[in-house]
Parts: sequence; structure tokens; C-alpha cells
Amino acid sequence: MPTQRYGNKSVLEAARERVAFVFDHFAEVIVSISGGKDSTVLAHFALVEAKRRGRRIGLHFLDEEAVYQSSVEQVEYLMELFPECVNRLWLQIEMRLTNATSVAEGQLVCWEPGRHKDWMRPKKPFSVHHRMWSLESQTVRNKNKGFGFYDAIENFERCYSNTAFLVGLRAAGESPNRWRAVVQNPVTIGGESVYWGTKKGENVALYPLYDWNFHDVWRYIYDEGIRYSKIYDFQFKKGYAISQMRVSSLIHERAFKSVCDLPEFEPKTYDRLLKRIKGIALAQETGRNAKLFAARKLPKNFTSWIAYRDFLLATHHDQDRKHIFVARFARHLNNEHVARQQVRQLVLNDYENNVHVDNRPDPRDELIRYYEEVL
Amino acid sequence: MIGLGLDDADKAELVARYCAEHAIKKVFVLSPAKFRLALEGPVEHIEWAEVIKYKFYYRLLQEIDGSVLVVVNECLRTQNRNDLTYNCIRHFLYQTSHQMVFQHLPLIDQPDDFMILVDFETKSRWKREKLRPDILSECRIDVRPVPLDLHALPVATDEKTRLAYAAKKRELIDSLGRKDPHTIPRNLYLMSGKAKLRHVTPGQSYIGRNNRFAIEQMKTFKEDAYEHGPHVVFELCHSFIDFADFLALSRQTRVDVLVADLKVDRWYFDRYAAWKGRIADAYAAIRQ
Repeated sequence: MPTQRYGNKSVLEAARERVAFVFDHFAEVIVSISGGKDSTVLAHFALVEAKRRGRRIGLHFLDEEAVYQSSVEQVEYLMELFPECVNRLWLQIEMRLTNATSVAEGQLVCWEPGRHKDWMRPKKPFSVHHRMWSLESQTVRNKNKGFGFYDAIENFERCYSNTAFLVGLRAAGESPNRWRAVVQNPVTIGGESVYWGTKKGENVALYPLYDWNFHDVWRYIYDEGIRYSKIYDFQFKKGYAISQMRVSSLIHERAFKSVCDLPEFEPKTYDRLLKRIKGIALAQETGRNAKLFAARKLPKNFTSWIAYRDFLLATHHDQDRKHIFVARFARHLNNEHVARQQVRQLVLNDYENNVHVDNRPDPRDELIRYYEEVL
Repeated sequence: MIGLGLDDADKAELVARYCAEHAIKKVFVLSPAKFRLALEGPVEHIEWAEVIKYKFYYRLLQEIDGSVLVVVNECLRTQNRNDLTYNCIRHFLYQTSHQMVFQHLPLIDQPDDFMILVDFETKSRWKREKLRPDILSECRIDVRPVPLDLHALPVATDEKTRLAYAAKKRELIDSLGRKDPHTIPRNLYLMSGKAKLRHVTPGQSYIGRNNRFAIEQMKTFKEDAYEHGPHVVFELCHSFIDFADFLALSRQTRVDVLVADLKVDRWYFDRYAAWKGRIADAYAAIRQ
């Protein structure tokens, strides 16, 4: 297993070399962007290199509709930065996203046909409005969910071959698991083993910023004078921790807390989101409540997490998905430690199993047994 | 450098000498308030809890440069090597090559805790590594080992106390509910208090969890200073950090502990005896 060691190069030099390496070996380069700081930096790197070489690259933005307006503006900015070097791959296609804020409306069908008046904003005239692949060849990971975000990415990528997809994923320091996932399957390019990439069918996904940390990204943005999403300024002023300062979809299981501050940051976006989908007002008021979405404290009328979980299952609103939870929980251990995490999945309507459950004996029980023995 | 077991006068002298030798223009001392160092010259003290606050963090990032010395004093406050305060200090130390790290004992609980100090000294170069002697060769470490000596003073309890102890243990376990299991030894440990009272000598200083028996000269583990020592330990605290703070502030090395003949008393004493062993292991690893 590879280990991390400091080398003699700065991460900036290393990233520039990696991007140049990608351009040397691939005729087709596509950068995935989200409007966040990492993909902004990566897109800037790639655009500068493309301009230097007189080449065009694809900037791919998979538009989830329920995103900050600032993210949309950031994507527009990147696509207009060196327009002569950019193929605009802004996908505004119908797909299903989990809505963690509501059990009654557990999915947002973004860019839903026939409901264009309800959309958060109109589609861009130049964006990709329809799927670029045939329905026959289309793959769907999870039939319960339907065609979702990752399905759109996978099917989009399969439209290409021998293409380098650059992703602004950072894996150093902040997430050892992510780092392991990146480096454990190196890909061979031009006879060289590349640890900052993975094979994806006929293409490769490459992560030139994989060893950057939070501060490296901001230093680059400052030094290069690049524009960045205003949301970061709002989050900074509001006192967000570094790990919480992120811009992404507003409604999925890991990001719904963004809705809490949305009325302050972007009142118009909040207003449109309220009209767009159910559960937003509740999430805005209670997103950080330890007894509700966070499931850190037990509501006072329950004496155990197991009782609370059983109540939530028995009264589950969505009969179509209840069996998913029942079947999943049947494979889990039945203890308080696991039940608390199951409650979290239930209140977040996480039928996709995105919020990890640590399925192991309750460490608390072991400790009590130990004290009973030795004291 | 990392200074282990130094007293305040030693620390002040080292800092003064370092400032003179390296033309230091300003010294920032990051330290819990109760360990505040009396230093002369252009010194600014930042209280431990304030380090993470924006009003200090960003100002210090702007002010700390190659002419600034950062003194990190008695900084082992949590075993989490990625603690936010540690991370903030890390970023201060990236901006200067002048740092001094002082700590009374080399660990909180495990020898690997020492690597928190090594991180400060090495600009976190070995942040993912455990304690290894070859890494330590990069650091300048001034070690004055604390010869910790724990002595048990036996206290006999009567049959009534022992029966009450057994009943209380059963009750604590049965009624635990959602409460923290660590409350079991904490609560049981209080049972021997009355038996220990008979061994209290007037004029002797004691330290305990609280002063529920209104003993004259009884201090708790949360004091800012320990005068009129040496203190006899009436009961040990659950947290090693509190006990390490007591040792650092009192500079006491021989510690007499009242140990009743209840299992929980022996468990606490053995726990600290094992801790003393880990401190010795850490010193051995550091000296290699």
C-alpha cells in the first residue's frame, strides 16, 4: 500500500506537470466543474494549458437545478474565461435526485419535462437539453431510485473514448479513505504508472489536485486573481468550519444543511426552492436540530434508539420505499449504536444507503461489561 | 526545540536567550491561562481557547513571519492530533522557523501523544506517523524526566461500606440507561470517601475531586495553583489531563494516594500505575 511522503516539489509545480502530462497523452480532455473552489482551480489550470497549446477542452457541468445561483454564475464565468478554448458541456437533462428534506416528496426530478414553469431557472440556450446517448444503451445503477446523478455521469462518460476526465478531487490529509480510493488502483498512461487517476471504461478519470489541501486551493485563487463563488464569503463570515465550507446540491443527504442559511445567503434562490419542492421550510428551520435531522439526541418521548427507529419504520410515509429500509436493517445488528444511525437514514429518507451505517456491536455495551467485571 | 519537564524559570531563560541569538522581534505565547509564562520583551500571550477564534487566528497569520518566535506551552490538551487548535497552530508554525514547544510530561495517555509536539517542531512533516525514534532525530529535544513516584496509603473500609458498594454498583449498572458508562467508576469511587476521612491529618494538604467533606487544605484538580504542597491524593481524577496539570503546576513528583480496599480504588490506582509505566516508555523512546 503506498504511503504519503513529502517530496521536493510544491503541489503547484506538481499539478502543472500533471496537467501538461495529460495534454501530452490525450487528444480529448474534459474537466468536470461544479462551481466550487476545487473545480474552479482545476478548470483554470486546464484552460491556461489549453490556451498555451492552442487546444480546446470540454468543461462539463452536470446541472442539478437545485444549486446556488452563485454556482451557476461561477460556471458561466469559467466557460467565458477563454471561450476560444472551451467546448461547453453544460448538461441540463432530466434526472432524479434524492430530496433528504421531505419524506412526502423524496425525489426532485430536475428539469422535469412539462414542468418548466416550476424549474428553478430556465435552461440555457446553449446547454445540452437531451440525453446524448440512446435509451437502449443507458444504464441505471439503482432501479429503486431511477436515473440519477451518477448514472448521468457514467452514461455521459461512455459517449467518449480515450478521453481524460479531470476531476478536482482532493485527497490529501483531509480524507484518508478518499486518498486510499484514489491511489490504490493506479492507471498506466504512456508506460507510466499514474497514482492520481483511475481507469473508467475506455477513459480515465484523473485528479491532478489530489495532494492539494484547502489552503493550497485558496492560495492559488488569490495568486491568480480568479473569481470564486460568493457562497464561500458568506460561509466565512458566518463562521463555518473549513470542512463545512462547500457548495454543492442543496437537498441531498450530505448537503441539506445548506438550506439552513440559504435565506441569508441567497434569498431569491431560497424563495424559488420553496416553491419547487417540499420539505424546504422544515429543513431550513430544523436542519441543525440534534433531535431531528442530525439524530444526535433522542426525542424525549422515546427511551431508546431502537424504539425510535421502530416507530419511524412503522409510521413510514413512503410505502414504496419502506421495504428497502426493512430489508437493509434486517442485515444489521440490533443495538443502540446501529439503531441511532438507522434513525438518521430514516429521517433523511436515505433509501439509497448513502449515509454510512457503522454496523458493529455497541461499544458502550462492551464498556459496561468491562466495568461490571473489574469494579 | 521541544522542552520536557522544564520549570518556568528555565523556559523564560531559554526564550530570552533564543530571542537574543536570532534577533526575534516578537514572541507569541500560546498557552492555557493557568500556565501563563512570565516573559520579558515584546511578548503577546494568546490563551489556548482563543487560538481558534477568527480575531486571533487571522491576525496571527498576518503577523507571524520569519522574525517571530512562537512558544507553544503545555499544549497537550487533547489526544486528537487533528484537533482544530492544533491545526491552527500548525499554520502559524508554517510561517516561521522559530518555535519552542514546552510540556511537563511527554504524553496525555499514550506515548504516541508525543508526536503532537513533534508535529509542531517539524512543521507536521511526520503528521501521519506514530512515535518512532528515527523521526525524533530531526528534533532538538531537551528532556528533564519527571521521576513520578506513586505510593498507595491503604485505607480499610468496614463491612457496611463494602455491602453498600456492591449494592451501589448493581444500581448504577441497572439504572444506567442512556448515561455515560464512565459514570460507573466515577460514582463508585466516591463510596470510600468516608473511610478515607479517618486518615486525614490536620495541616496536611490534600487533593480530590471536590471538597464535599469541607476538609481544610483540600484542593480540587481544577485549580490554577497548588501552594502548601506536597498534596496527598484523597481520590484520583478520571481524566489523565487533569492529573498531569496538577503535576505540572505543583511540580510534585512523589504522590501519595489514599487507596481503600474497594475494587474501584485499586482499579484507579492500577490505572495510574500503568500510566506511569507508559510515561517511562515514552521517555525511553525519546531518549533512543
